[in-house]
Amino acid sequence: MIRAVIDIIVSIAAGFYTTGRHLFVRPVTESYPEYKRPLPARSRARIILTRDPEGRERCVACYLCSGVCPVNCISMQAAEDSQGRRYAAWFRINFGRCIYCGLCEQACPTSAIQLTPDFEHIRRDILDMVFEKQDLLVDLCGKDPDYDFYQHAGVVVGLAGKGDHISENPPVNTRTNMP
Amino acid sequence: MPKLIIDNREIEVPEGTKVIKAAEKLGIYIPRFCFHHALGAVGACRVCAVKFQEGPVDGVQMSCMIDAQDGMKVSTADPEAADFRRSVIEWLMLNHPHDCPVCDEGGHCLLQDLTVAGGHGIRRSKGRKRTYTDQYLGPLVYHEMNRCIQCYRCVRFYREYSGYSDLGVTGIAGRVYFGRLREGILESPFAGNLIDICPTGVYTDRPSRYTGRRWDFERTPGVCIHCSLGCRTTVSARYRQVVRVEGRFSQQVNRDFICDRGRYGFYYADRPGRPRNGRINGQTVSAQQAVEEARDRLQRITQEHGPEAVGIIGSARSSLQTLSALVHLCHTTGWQGPVFRNTWIAGAAADAAVRALSPENAFSMREIETADAILAVGADPVNEAPMLALAMRQAQRTGAEIIAIDPRPLDWPFDFAHLACRAEEMEETLASAAERLSASRRPVVICGTEITDDGIVMQAADLVAGLRGSDKRAGLFCTMPQANSFGAALLDESNACAADLADRIETGQIRALAVFESDLWHVFPDRSRLSTALEKLDLLVSVDFLDTPLFENADIGIPSLTVFEAGGIYVNQEGRAQQVRPAHTGGLPIAAAGLGDHPPRSFSPDVPGRDMPAAWAAAFSLSGQAPPETDAQMTAWMRDNFAVLADLAHMEADGVRLFAGRKVSIPDEAQIPEKKPDQFLELLPAPTIFGGEPMSGHSQCLRELAGLPAVWMARADADRLGIADDDRVSLGFENIEVTLNVRISDPMAQGVLVVYRHPDIDWQPAPDGKRIFISEDQIRRIEKA
Ligand code: SF4
Ligand code: SF4
Ligand code: SF4
Ligand code: SF4
Ligand code: FES
Repeated sequence: MIRAVIDIIVSIAAGFYTTGRHLFVRPVTESYPEYKRPLPARSRARIILTRDPEGRERCVACYLCSGVCPVNCISMQAAEDSQGRRYAAWFRINFGRCIYCGLCEQACPTSAIQLTPDFEHIRRDILDMVFEKQDLLVDLCGKDPDYDFYQHAGVVVGLAGKGDHISENPPVNTRTNMP
Repeated sequence: MPKLIIDNREIEVPEGTKVIKAAEKLGIYIPRFCFHHALGAVGACRVCAVKFQEGPVDGVQMSCMIDAQDGMKVSTADPEAADFRRSVIEWLMLNHPHDCPVCDEGGHCLLQDLTVAGGHGIRRSKGRKRTYTDQYLGPLVYHEMNRCIQCYRCVRFYREYSGYSDLGVTGIAGRVYFGRLREGILESPFAGNLIDICPTGVYTDRPSRYTGRRWDFERTPGVCIHCSLGCRTTVSARYRQVVRVEGRFSQQVNRDFICDRGRYGFYYADRPGRPRNGRINGQTVSAQQAVEEARDRLQRITQEHGPEAVGIIGSARSSLQTLSALVHLCHTTGWQGPVFRNTWIAGAAADAAVRALSPENAFSMREIETADAILAVGADPVNEAPMLALAMRQAQRTGAEIIAIDPRPLDWPFDFAHLACRAEEMEETLASAAERLSASRRPVVICGTEITDDGIVMQAADLVAGLRGSDKRAGLFCTMPQANSFGAALLDESNACAADLADRIETGQIRALAVFESDLWHVFPDRSRLSTALEKLDLLVSVDFLDTPLFENADIGIPSLTVFEAGGIYVNQEGRAQQVRPAHTGGLPIAAAGLGDHPPRSFSPDVPGRDMPAAWAAAFSLSGQAPPETDAQMTAWMRDNFAVLADLAHMEADGVRLFAGRKVSIPDEAQIPEKKPDQFLELLPAPTIFGGEPMSGHSQCLRELAGLPAVWMARADADRLGIADDDRVSLGFENIEVTLNVRISDPMAQGVLVVYRHPDIDWQPAPDGKRIFISEDQIRRIEKA
């Protein structure tokens, strides 16, 4: 009985002690929006289309992101430029529907589409949430700064000839019987 | 019949069945690259390995190379076999380029599927990749040889199955190369099938390059309407636009493949010049307004001058829905027609064919493949009905003898005996060649209806009837000018041709003409007569999805839906009615509706340009009747109103055969075509595979293949006239002057000048019974600059 009373008094005192101590400690709460905490690069919010190290559009309009997107909010039209490069003639993300799952970024074989920490991404008009290619395209490489898909691919798009891409041998001579 | 066990399940298969096929019967899909049911097995890719656990064969073996035998116990999931298959994929990927994201095959690529299935995700090899230089193969097929896995499907299809030899395999060891043996474009009009048959992205579709992934397409079963065979297709559409057409398997018609005209002929459907708005006296209005205006004005003319003052013309490129709606339209209003025949003679030949074909004698293409003797008269399959040539080729591969009776130069991908003769000699030649069929067990007579008359068709039918015996089956196979020529002949009651209406226009009897989906302008034999007649009309209404000259000059133009938007039923040349489903909703494609570089940013349930009617609906509206509301109601309406169409109720996967049920009759009097006068040459306009057909002629990629307009003549004629191959000549006839390149051919009939239809030759009259003769001095050689 006495033991129980002592336990109660000790725990009440400990509680008051903690409360009292915090009266003299600096608060940890961050006041948003006055203070904006830097988020890690892997945070998943507003989506961008990045460029390769030479500043060319990375996206090859392969439809993998739109194929994987669980809410079908990406649409695009592939096209071919005069060099033979496949690119997106238009590219649209409906952020009104996006759930920021990041699957598109995982699927992207060129590191073009990336989610960014910019979560302040609210518009009053729902149509303003529909971003076109010019709204998505940025002038940087983002998280995978050195990757240039077309240097690794086998198709010729004006960067290098057949056999000149990374880890390719020169084209074989099919007209010889020499080993 | 051997009995074997595959994955613990027993199956009995016919002698000679490969294990891979036996497994398919059990629903077990063994991976394969080189094996293809149309091409057979070669054992090149090694990915079909399975484990033979018991029986006559032992260990890991290729299931496509081994015949099923009694007592076999096969496991597909055995770790040894699975490991083997996995390694095969990894070897194949050693040299495979890092192309998937930019490869059009991705998404329906067999290599991609099996790589994923085998779990090979990360490249382990540090080695460099082999590369090849690619070739320009022409406007249809794109070549990217790095992606090849050496399965030999392409060369087996191209050389063995379809009989062309310009594509082949070169090189040895690790340098085996698949491509053309010499620079240049692919010569086969079946080359597009390489795209379907190649299990990787070596051959991809050039016109639709980089337009989308298969998983995004609305894929609909279709039927090709670019010739009378009615091959099955799969139509891929996206954003209210057809993107690609591929072959679809059909047991009785085309089997696996289609020709390039069928594959690339669809571009008319969304070309910029296509009529999408109504037109009244040159003013653009909505389609509905145009329909209403046409209805009112036709009614006014009917009230003032009686129903005989209105004529209706249709054509065999329309669906059965449209054709029957037109018959109904004339029934209910008393208007004249509908006329489905451009010329009397062409209609008569098709009509004879329809009457001659019966369930006993009609052969399908499938049956042609198993024929042991083929006699083709006045039919040039490569140009008139291309897939027929492939069926004949299969017959020839199994030993069939093939004889052709035709005035034209024939370029067929198999061996045949060509008896070149002019129209007036055809009957006699046919009679004497018939002897050669008597010994065969499954003979077929193939009869064309474009350059022949009804007499030849009847003669062919009689010949077949004579060949039929207790122990053998003889078949008749007629090619026809257009996709629905058979359907038009079934419904055609008036037996009139466009010239008959022209007569009545000239006499002032007909004051208004409504023309449904017809290219009268290109084929009417006497163009100056046609244009004066049309000018005499009070009202010319044109309903079409093509911007034909007739549509351009009509007082009222009504845009109609294409087969991709409206669907329809088409009856092929053997009487097989096949249903086509709409591939996408009608209306302006998204690409055209969007302003600037992306689709519109406003959203509404209305599709711009959605108010275009199907031609059959327009036909109902012209008489003020409400058309049936749905496609199903329309089909039911057709069944109820036309006795010949009652069998549409039994439509199955392979369609349903409609026969006229009229018996063959010997022609009243054999009309031997008039003889060619001396010092004259016959000018024979002939159909051609690329560019000559009204719809596919709008496809830019096919026009590129059409070459230059040319006139073909026999060597003897050329020598006599002092003309050499590749010269240019000008031909003058009936106030027309055309300049053409000369091609000399041997064999072809002497005394005949063959001019193939060509998009650059504006006027390609259908034969009208009167053959066109031009005197030798109307052929002038033009000196080359
Ligand atoms: S983050 Fe997820 S929901 Fe958003 S676009 Fe990417 S895949 Fe679609
Ligand atoms: S996955 Fe990447 S490269 Fe492919 S379409 Fe999307 S953003 Fe473009
Ligand atoms: S052929 Fe298939 S596996 Fe190869 S790049 Fe194309 S899609 Fe990928
Ligand atoms: S090109 Fe295609 S079909 Fe031909 S061997 Fe290579 S992978 Fe096979
Ligand atoms: S499918 Fe059997 S070896 Fe290729």
